[in-house]
Amino acid sequence: MDFSDIERILDLVRQHDLAEFELEKEGLKLRVRKAGALPAFTASPLHTMPVVVPTAPSAATPAPPPMASAAPLSADEAEESVELAVVKSPIVGTFYRSPEPGAAAFVEVGQRVKKDQVLCIIEAMKLMNEITSEYEGELVSAYVENGKPVQYGERLFAIRTV
Amino acid sequence: MKTKEKILRPSSLTSSPSIVRDIQAALDATANERGVFGTRFQYHDEAGSTNDLAMRAAERGEPEGTVIVAGAQTAGRGRLGRTWFSPAGAGLYVSTIIRHVTLAPWITLAGGVAVAEGIRAATALPVEIKWPNDVVTVGSAGFRARRKLAGILAEAVSDGQQVQHVVLGYGINLLPAAFPPELTDRATSIESELGRTVDAGLVLAQTLVALNRALTEIEAGGPAALLVRWLALAPSARGARIEWDGPGGVTLTGVTAGLAPDGALLARTATGIDRILSGEIRWV
Repeated sequence: MDFSDIERILDLVRQHDLAEFELEKEGLKLRVRKAGALPAFTASPLHTMPVVVPTAPSAATPAPPPMASAAPLSADEAEESVELAVVKSPIVGTFYRSPEPGAAAFVEVGQRVKKDQVLCIIEAMKLMNEITSEYEGELVSAYVENGKPVQYGERLFAIRTV
Repeated sequence: MKTKEKILRPSSLTSSPSIVRDIQAALDATANERGVFGTRFQYHDEAGSTNDLAMRAAERGEPEGTVIVAGAQTAGRGRLGRTWFSPAGAGLYVSTIIRHVTLAPWITLAGGVAVAEGIRAATALPVEIKWPNDVVTVGSAGFRARRKLAGILAEAVSDGQQVQHVVLGYGINLLPAAFPPELTDRATSIESELGRTVDAGLVLAQTLVALNRALTEIEAGGPAALLVRWLALAPSARGARIEWDGPGGVTLTGVTAGLAPDGALLARTATGIDRILSGEIRWV
């Protein structure tokens, strides 16, 4: 394992917004934990290679200074990272992007959405189910065409939350 | 828009219009059979849409069983933005809040059974259900000759995880004025079928009694009893030629073949059995 491997691990940890990641391999134990309420990181006595995944600065627990060799990133760079939330269908039914035929879509790709804003309707057994956003951000993808059937858990939208 | 709201408490009405007195008397007489449905009750002389009022009430935290009735709707709705004609005094426009979200998959079938059984109990007019929940007349001239007496619109709000609450709305045509004249061959009213006046309060109370019965049965023993009741009220669910819109806007045809255990309508086609879960069916 070299530092580029660690960089890749850090990228993955950030990408998936993991609170903690631990790897033990060939006498090396690597443990990454997000700076926050818990201790920033711990490592085994041997081969200590502490790394920090930067997050928004926390007043309560300042992040320890990153080691020069361990992919240091400033808090500003971390805030620029992209976080996508995928909205999935909670039911089986027919997907509608607008409240009625010919009407404008509830939300278009590129528009901002607020928490609890209606994104679409899924109809099952004539129950018109308004699906609201759990997230605030920009709608970046709409995966399903209007009028198409959707399955439970099928991806409907992606929202960039940061 | 005028919206006079009356929040009624049991036996609190002395000088209200007759419709409100009729409703109150009927609710009082059925208090032990309605469960929570109608224990909280609002009457509006006129509303935009009772479903919209009920949805807002649900979002404010109003409890399950809250019932909102309007004498007229200025923006009555059906499925996918269709208008539900709702002139003053001609129909019964009702919405109620349901918070037992595990019942959500069954609410539209339960709503059809509740309205059909309620009309039968209150007026003795025989009515049937067209899948999933249109309430239509009974006749010997084939299913195409059935005319619609009542319609149901159920709406839910869900986040990405689960249903938050459901509003079940229904409009029942009491008088011929409840539907536009151009729909005479497809719509009718309880009074024009019976040839006499009916007690709107009794119709409301009996639909709530039947709704409470249907939902209580599902909670206690699953949906089997509901499906039996529904099938008994829906002879067109077996052996009727229908067409419907398949995925991608293709029109499909088949012959109805009963209900799937999840309430989907089954139809026998040239290639096998299809499940119809959304949209509407048309007689052919």
